[in-house]
Amino acid sequence: MSRLLRSFGPHLTSLILLLSGVWVIGMIIGPQLIMVEQSFWYTDRGGDAVVITVQIDAHYNDIDVLAFDKMDAEDLAPSPERDAKIAEIDATIAEKRVIIAELETREVIPKKVYSLRNYTIMGGSHLAIFIKTILASVAVTLIAFVVCYPMAYTVAKLATPNRAAIIMLGLIIPYAINELLRVFAWLMILNYNGVANFLLGLIGVEPIAFLESGTGVFIAMVYAYILFMVFPIYNTVETLDTSQIEAARDLGAPTWQIHRRIVLPHAKPGIAVGCIMTFMLSAGSYAVPYIMTRGTAEPWFTQLIYNKFFESLNWNTGSAYAFTLLVACVIFVFLMMRMFKVGIKDIAK
Amino acid sequence: MRGMDIELTNVSMKFGDFTAVYPTDLKVKAGEFFSILGPSGCGKTTILRMVSGFLNPTTGGIKIGGEEMTVVGPHKRPTALIFQNLALFPLMTVWENVAFGLEMRGWEKTRRRDKAFELLDLVALGDQGDKIPDELSGGQRQRVAVARALAVEPAVLLLDEPLSALDLKLRQHMRSELRDIQRKTGVTFIYITHDQGEALTMSDRIAVMKAGVIEQVDTTDRVYDAPATAFAATFVGANNVFRGKVTSLDGDMAVVETKYGALRAKNPQNQAVGNKVVLFVRPEKMQVLSAVDREENAIAVEFERRDLEGPFVNLFFRREGDVFSAHLVNAGDVAHQPSGHKGLCFAPQDGMILPVGDIADE
Repeated sequence: MSRLLRSFGPHLTSLILLLSGVWVIGMIIGPQLIMVEQSFWYTDRGGDAVVITVQIDAHYNDIDVLAFDKMDAEDLAPSPERDAKIAEIDATIAEKRVIIAELETREVIPKKVYSLRNYTIMGGSHLAIFIKTILASVAVTLIAFVVCYPMAYTVAKLATPNRAAIIMLGLIIPYAINELLRVFAWLMILNYNGVANFLLGLIGVEPIAFLESGTGVFIAMVYAYILFMVFPIYNTVETLDTSQIEAARDLGAPTWQIHRRIVLPHAKPGIAVGCIMTFMLSAGSYAVPYIMTRGTAEPWFTQLIYNKFFESLNWNTGSAYAFTLLVACVIFVFLMMRMFKVGIKDIAK
Repeated sequence: MRGMDIELTNVSMKFGDFTAVYPTDLKVKAGEFFSILGPSGCGKTTILRMVSGFLNPTTGGIKIGGEEMTVVGPHKRPTALIFQNLALFPLMTVWENVAFGLEMRGWEKTRRRDKAFELLDLVALGDQGDKIPDELSGGQRQRVAVARALAVEPAVLLLDEPLSALDLKLRQHMRSELRDIQRKTGVTFIYITHDQGEALTMSDRIAVMKAGVIEQVDTTDRVYDAPATAFAATFVGANNVFRGKVTSLDGDMAVVETKYGALRAKNPQNQAVGNKVVLFVRPEKMQVLSAVDREENAIAVEFERRDLEGPFVNLFFRREGDVFSAHLVNAGDVAHQPSGHKGLCFAPQDGMILPVGDIADE
């Protein structure tokens, strides 16, 4: 703090602190707290809101009908019966208005009830999608690791500096293109009438429904998040002293043992970071599954959350769903840290 | 453990247009402590990496124990390399480091652990086995590297300037330890260094190397007392240099005319009259004169400074831009009065005439 003050002076320091505060409280803590809070209550409208609305509508209809009855009665020749009938209709209308007013208060001022209901009402099918999303994200992470580790190792240790730069550039340049466009490119490639099936057709393979089977989501996701796996691994492998690899080889280690005993243990923090990032991005991805499946395959859990928020307008259940996903991600992070025996500090490096 | 001999036949190494090692023949005997001595960039590490298998020679063949090694990878050769930075595995304990080679050979855990501790005892680290390398001192890490290399029972141990990171005291101590280990195990050692003191104290034989060429291969005594080239004469130990031309021959002696007059010295390579030569005199062979009062091999000089080394004293003199030095025993009675140092002289058998060649920079 005093160092900050010394480096930047009082004005800049207060600005930095203010902005950091706004960022931490306004962008991270605040929304999360609001979401968590929302997820723990629901509005009790004394029965289903729809029922109340229908009842109110029914009563309004009744009043309209009664108004016609009243007009009919007023057309009659004046008589005590006519007066009695009008009075009776008026009384019924007044009665209905009271009921409507009462129903409307229940509709307008719903009761806020704190409970775990939002977490427990997830149906079997949604739970299945949740589990599928988690498992699929783990699978995407694994595939990304299998693809990226050799790539990162090659660039870091085997390629000449020039070639390494070219490979890296080749990896980065596509990321200058919008994610949606990249996913759409995969859509065109993997479409039933797409490039991949065209090429497969040339060698006589029947068209494969990549998109409808959900394979497309995997491929597009691995591609979309590959950099987040490559770079952390590359960064750690790069710091490995090449003479350690040579020493291991000199002591008789075959290639796979060198990786098992020397390179992988050294790259652990990078692998952990890569896995965490890839998993978080996959599990939280909305656009990729949305575009790649277009409703033809099972949705991703994020799509359910979106639906809860913006289609059924049930923010409370949406929050509960989102929070459940967040908890799953946090558990995954801790599992990874445990598995790779790395601390927060190693990851921060 | 049994040392093996190494034979390099016409071995050369080119990196693109740059020739790191010119075609070289070299024989190292089994069980020998052999040093390759040269300045950095002279190609000595390249030779080591070719012997260990990390580099394939551009031409020629390498035999270890009589077997052709050219197609054999580093992990299959009977060699073990100790790296300049030691390359200990930082994430493993000390004993796991030592046992790594055995692990790769499929030894089961208890057996390789026992063997590792046995080796750690050999290098006096028996009680440090469960630490990680970072917790050890420089000298201890050094010994771990030696133990790790010895664990795979190599016939040849290759050492790439392993002492260069240590401080002087430790370096001197490690020299004798390495020598001891070599004697105890009988393994052939090839030791790469740019430190002539290291090479002289430890080795049986030394190869002096310069710019990709081995200039001399000989015993330590011969390399020091009978250098083959001007470079060897100046790189191994210090030397006073006199340039000139041979004017007359006298048996195994010759007279060289220098700008400081005629000097007589040994002529081991039989330089003929008229040849341009360099005459070398070791500083410890120089005598300091209080007056230039004799005819032969005496040069008048100006005293410049005196460096006290403890048991020895180095005196530096100057004449016409040339610097000369004398290395004297500090007997406590040497009066180092500048006024007493007027000239230098040497006995003819202490001077050596060699063909003109590159002089090593100090």
